[in-house]
Amino acid sequence: MITKDEIDNFIDKIPPAPKALKETIRLLVDGELMKAAKIAETELPLKMYLKNLVNKAVFGFKHEVSEVSQIFGILGVSGSQQAVYNYMLTLLSPDEWILFNLTEKTFYELQARLSANYNKILKHLNIVDRDIQSAISLIPASIIVTEAFFKNHIKDIEIIRATKPLDYNTILKRLSGMDLFDICIKIANKWEMSDKVSEILQTASGVKPSENKDINLIGKWIHLLLFYELSQPMFIEAGLNQFLDFQVDFVEDIYEDFLKIMKVES
Amino acid sequence: MRAVVKDGIAVFYPQGFLDGNSAESMLSIDDIKATENLKTDLVLVSLKKVIFFNKNGLEIFVRMLIKVRKANQARIGFCDYDIKKFNSIMNFFKEDLSFSLFNTLETASLFASSFKNKQKNVLIYSENKSQRSVMAIDLHNYGHNPIITQTKNEFDEKKKNSNSYDVIIENTHMGSMESGTISTRVSGNAIIYNVSSFLDAGIANSFNIHYHNNSLKAGFRLFIFEAYQVVNMNVHAVNFFSKLASSSAEYNATICFVGLSTEKTTTKFHETLEDSGIMFFEQLDTLLDDKKLLAELGASTATNIKDKRSLNKAIITQLPNFIEATVDTIKMMTNAEAKKESASIYTIKIQETENKIASSIGFYGDIDGMIILIFPKSIAKKACELLIGEETDDKELIMDSLGEFVNIIGGKIKTLLADNNIRIKITLPRTYDEVSELLTVADNRKGVQVDLTFDDDHFSFFLTR
Repeated sequence: MITKDEIDNFIDKIPPAPKALKETIRLLVDGELMKAAKIAETELPLKMYLKNLVNKAVFGFKHEVSEVSQIFGILGVSGSQQAVYNYMLTLLSPDEWILFNLTEKTFYELQARLSANYNKILKHLNIVDRDIQSAISLIPASIIVTEAFFKNHIKDIEIIRATKPLDYNTILKRLSGMDLFDICIKIANKWEMSDKVSEILQTASGVKPSENKDINLIGKWIHLLLFYELSQPMFIEAGLNQFLDFQVDFVEDIYEDFLKIMKVES
Repeated sequence: MRAVVKDGIAVFYPQGFLDGNSAESMLSIDDIKATENLKTDLVLVSLKKVIFFNKNGLEIFVRMLIKVRKANQARIGFCDYDIKKFNSIMNFFKEDLSFSLFNTLETASLFASSFKNKQKNVLIYSENKSQRSVMAIDLHNYGHNPIITQTKNEFDEKKKNSNSYDVIIENTHMGSMESGTISTRVSGNAIIYNVSSFLDAGIANSFNIHYHNNSLKAGFRLFIFEAYQVVNMNVHAVNFFSKLASSSAEYNATICFVGLSTEKTTTKFHETLEDSGIMFFEQLDTLLDDKKLLAELGASTATNIKDKRSLNKAIITQLPNFIEATVDTIKMMTNAEAKKESASIYTIKIQETENKIASSIGFYGDIDGMIILIFPKSIAKKACELLIGEETDDKELIMDSLGEFVNIIGGKIKTLLADNNIRIKITLPRTYDEVSELLTVADNRKGVQVDLTFDDDHFSFFLTR
């Protein structure tokens, strides 16, 4: 169904980060918010994306924010970097979703919700780290990769899953030896993201705990946050609830804190 | 979300957070209709991957499951939870618990008539005395050995010696269940039908005769009616079984009853059934464990049928779909490319029988027939790796997964034919760990044989009626 060659081919075709975006990120890394905003302002699709992102309800701004300099100012260096990576990911997303019942709007909504809620978590954990904050942007890449590899095998997967409760990640791993998150890491590498991001991504899959205690903790929070979001009706209806295996035991120890942060009433 | 089906149990696997909003989106009316069509004896929602739920979320699932219970008389409920989740559910529903709760799927499977392994030693504890009794009676009826503990202390004490028990049941609740369904399972290549309550003319409607006939065509020769829960039967039921035995005799098939003592039927009825060739046994396990007796009754070897029907145009036209479904499924599961070597219309010919295993699956509906697949062990093992998750030489596990694999091929064929407006149903697959066994069913039978190679391994596909 899916071979290692197909995966290699997919990875080869991942475009490197566009020049303007690379420059924006470089300036953000240097803390040059205004200069970065100036470059981002010239990239119209990026500007539109950022405007759309931060004005979503989940970010909770009372008044519409429209200028990139304003947006970067509100988000800060790490938040802006995270938002630019979110935009870069949309460049990989398909024009038309076939496997998942997603639209551009719902995909952006998922990115926005993940980012905003992840930022709440980082605040709770007292973590200020640009790489850690950017890691969340790569998580939806697993959805894009699943769509790319399985969209032509929808009926086959339905038949297999009527016999055995296998998630896409397991099927891919058993067929090709690589899982969704291995491929996401290849994307991160192409975009020259740090090793820390790659390590967090692996851990967030829920099946490869990190030996680094801090990274492991971040991975747990991301894993639980992902399933919190994938339990929202909009994303269940998109078919996302079942795409990855939820590792309940992995997140058990942070569950109570998570409920408090997300204000979930039991 | 669609249910996963195994051994007559349909299980939904929601993940994450289950509240009123998410539950509505997880289970649609179409999902429920599809589950009704599965005709399983248990329909459950696994809470293994659910970290949060509330009463609203569970109520929505229960409401949907009740629709399946009404349509199919299936037992419904939840499984795979810890003590905390169990207490929450009990607290949410208190006296209004109309569904079942099973601490694990393994516990649930003990209460499914399709469960292959019987005679499990089961330690039971429930605070509720009547629940303890209901569980014990049901377990006994399903052929297990329940050991009831009356107090929590007694239970905890016995539980320490956990090696003495196959399954330990606690935090479990048996909900109400409609009766009257006839479920089907395969054990050691015998088909077992589970019948219950009072058997009358209604048996003709509840028994799937098409399924039975196609199982005969697929090579099954021993059919066992598990009748522990039958209270009595009337003349209409006796006539039904007599006719069934006569028609099955044309295939040299045997029909047996287990657990139907003479107290449950009149001597006259018993004699009528015996005269029509039906055999009676007290215990299912005694029968299934006696390999020699099983062989005599036809469960391990099957004689070829006298009625050899020819392939007709309707089936031949669909041959490319059958081949495509088979090749695609093997390719999907192994990533191996298939090459067609030859196709011939005649009788089945197997060049080499060494290191090969086989399976047959029947289909019926708009067209009917049987597909026989003869695999080199290497392909079967590789194909099953996706389902098992690792390489294995465990013969039982491979044969079990081969059944699942052939079921997937059957499902694919069903889908491809449905695209051409041809509706079929498929029987349970029969597996053969020796090709010689298969040949007793299929030798001299006319059909289309297509020989293929997958990565230089030879594989044969045979379509017949």
